[in-house]
Amino acid sequence: MINRLRATRFIVAQVHDEPIIASLGNPKFDLFAAGDRPQNFYMWNSMGMAASMGLGLAMARPAQKVIVLDGDGALLMNLNALTTAAARAPQNLIHVIWDNRQFALTGGQPTHTAFRADLAQLARGAGFERVVAVDTQEAFEQAFLQAMATPGPWIIVARVDDQQATARPPKSPTYIKHRFMQSLGAYDT
Amino acid sequence: METAWPQHIIAQLKAYRIRFLSYVPDAIGEQILRLARQDPFFDILPLAREEEGVGVVAGQYMGGARGALLMPTAGVGNALNALASLAIPYQVPLPMFIGWRGELGEFNAAQVPLGQALPALFAALHIPTFVLRYAPEVPTVVAGALKLAYSAEQPVAVLISTQLAGWKDER
Repeated sequence: MINRLRATRFIVAQVHDEPIIASLGNPKFDLFAAGDRPQNFYMWNSMGMAASMGLGLAMARPAQKVIVLDGDGALLMNLNALTTAAARAPQNLIHVIWDNRQFALTGGQPTHTAFRADLAQLARGAGFERVVAVDTQEAFEQAFLQAMATPGPWIIVARVDDQQATARPPKSPTYIKHRFMQSLGAYDT
Repeated sequence: METAWPQHIIAQLKAYRIRFLSYVPDAIGEQILRLARQDPFFDILPLAREEEGVGVVAGQYMGGARGALLMPTAGVGNALNALASLAIPYQVPLPMFIGWRGELGEFNAAQVPLGQALPALFAALHIPTFVLRYAPEVPTVVAGALKLAYSAEQPVAVLISTQLAGWKDER
């Protein structure tokens, strides 16, 4: 089983100035713990929107890899986003889904991946061709390095343990936004 | 020759450098998209559900590019939480062009409740809302709505009425 914080630390160690969009809850808590950087976008609510925001960002910045850190519960709430992203198929998109099979922040209620749903299969069914499901740190690292080095879009479904994150990133949405945009040189004038 | 209202909207989108158009189809929005598809300036993304468009435009904007969302009235209901929890708190300029159903000439009772609630829903979220009813006002209203979206960094709603775009013949 993969530990989400350890795997997130690996991601942060690999990136330079690539933007990372982190979904609400544990994905963004662990991204902050792994290494706060202006290119991190912390989503404080809008469950499911990380996948869509990553697609928009990948469209706007085709020369750069764009990384999305999602959760199983969040993606299940916006599953149709997989079909939209697969149709567009931006080569620079890396969508990592931490699958802990539960809604961790609300008491650990099971998500549908605790039963019969298989996110990698769903991604393939949506039209993604480069889909990897991993359940060890070594396999995750190998998949992420391949995704960084080769054209995507990539979907990496990582089976993670149920460790709860304790860190908390900045809470001001406008601070997060302005810092993020400034770091990308993306200011709209 | 008189310029039709969709051409005015296309011209304003270009004037405001709004290159990305995300949409869920409806008969009214299609009158704009039909023109946009013939113009290499635009990059058009079909969505499966309107809520996605809020995230997509937010990502495009934060990546340094401008996008707009075209959707039917029903789609506003699907997009509400993303508007309230992403576009508004993170201050995303999000121009929305909405084919307004459930208003004048509506044949379908199931379109009416949300259509009638639309202005109040946007008002409750403090999203500035403008209605296009007459062709001559289209350039001014659209230009003003777009200017406001980017100056105040917030979503704006442009409701395209059936008075302007026509209603369905069905009874």
